[in-house]
Amino acid sequence: MTEMTTQPITSLAEFLAHALELEVESAERYRELADSMEVHNNPDVAELFRKLAGYGDSHAQEVKDRAADVLLPTIPPWDFKWSCPEGPESPCMEDAHYMMTKCQALELALHNEVRGRDFYTQVAAASPDDEVSRVAAEMAAEEDTHVQMLRKWFKREACDIQEVQEDLDPPNIPE
Amino acid sequence: MTVSALKAKDYKSGIKPVWCPGCGHFSVLAAATKALAYLGLPKEQVAVISGIGCSSRLPAYIDSYGFHGVHGRALPVAAGLKAARPDLTVIVAGGDGDGFSIGGNHFLHACRRNMDMTYIVMDNKVYGMTKGQASPTTDPEWSASKMTPHGTGVRRFLPAAIALAAGASFIARGFAGDPSGLTKLLVEAIEHPGFAFLEVLSPCQTFRPEQKDWKNQVHPMGAHPSGDAVEAARAIQADDGMALGVLYADRLPVWQPAYEPRDSLEAIEKEFRV
Repeated sequence: MTEMTTQPITSLAEFLAHALELEVESAERYRELADSMEVHNNPDVAELFRKLAGYGDSHAQEVKDRAADVLLPTIPPWDFKWSCPEGPESPCMEDAHYMMTKCQALELALHNEVRGRDFYTQVAAASPDDEVSRVAAEMAAEEDTHVQMLRKWFKREACDIQEVQEDLDPPNIPE
Repeated sequence: MTVSALKAKDYKSGIKPVWCPGCGHFSVLAAATKALAYLGLPKEQVAVISGIGCSSRLPAYIDSYGFHGVHGRALPVAAGLKAARPDLTVIVAGGDGDGFSIGGNHFLHACRRNMDMTYIVMDNKVYGMTKGQASPTTDPEWSASKMTPHGTGVRRFLPAAIALAAGASFIARGFAGDPSGLTKLLVEAIEHPGFAFLEVLSPCQTFRPEQKDWKNQVHPMGAHPSGDAVEAARAIQADDGMALGVLYADRLPVWQPAYEPRDSLEAIEKEFRV
């Protein structure tokens, strides 16, 4: 398991602020990818990313509901206690390509969900606060259901991630 | 720090970027919106000015005042705006071709003038919008373009070194693959009183796919940023162009015209009436 946290999270408010950022950012990045795929005429992958953004929105809402009575701290973007440049579930923009297939997009999503699950698992294990450990373990279990769902989806599509879509009108480099 | 009611996504205009999926500029947009939210800047107090190129589309995607101007001329437009409206936070955005070739002369004088603004250059070492020609920051041996089949044969432009020599008071380098680190640098650049130059290594997936490896090449600057120009010059010259962080920061006199406008808006409009 890759190390996903930099330091233990010590309070429920701090944990929920992390969880909310993780889900909001992930939804936002999927939405950007969906928009970008639409602009580049890759409608199947756009639809998939749009769906994943929708899941992210509903997970963010779940975190907001949990945090309804908690005053969340404002954490500067660079001070979140995850070891990756953005939230663990955020797709990295550089992993996308305008010719990417649905299977490659699913693989990207699966990779992110695994990272999200690992983040929550590690927070649960490392936190000195019992409440944080309990809630983080619950969220890790929930993330695991997303991982399993994506694995099934991946299987259902009979995915070949090595498949390369041919660009019949590639970017022109002038003579 | 001001706690802002606005979130990063509130600073996005809703216009879908036309950048290629995988383009580093998406991270710059994310960093810019996060920085504005962190600083709690009201949208009407921010102006994003650009020239021409893929990266220069940034003003369209940020919900603030914006001006998508003429190739290479973002800095003079921004200087005019800042002179007239010193109360605005002026952010200038562009690419390596726009900023260092077509607008190279403006870059030198903007550094020297040290007006209080932030200049973000998204450097992918290629002209992307015009389909992949060598830019001033391209390595001399890059031969993938049919325009330069044997490479350019010309040593590359060194933005940080030139900015320092020209008198910029804040020089930093960020990486699109690290949006959070980039946000921090952008916040520091915006808060810096004077001309803040932020070079962002922003990979072009389409015409420079080999830049995907940049994530393995970037490294922290290491040494504490120097306010001593001579010391900073040595560090910048010794660097491989992939060091990230604040490379130089000093408090230098900021140029801002002190006089009040003599004419009313009505009088100015009258002059332009045909």
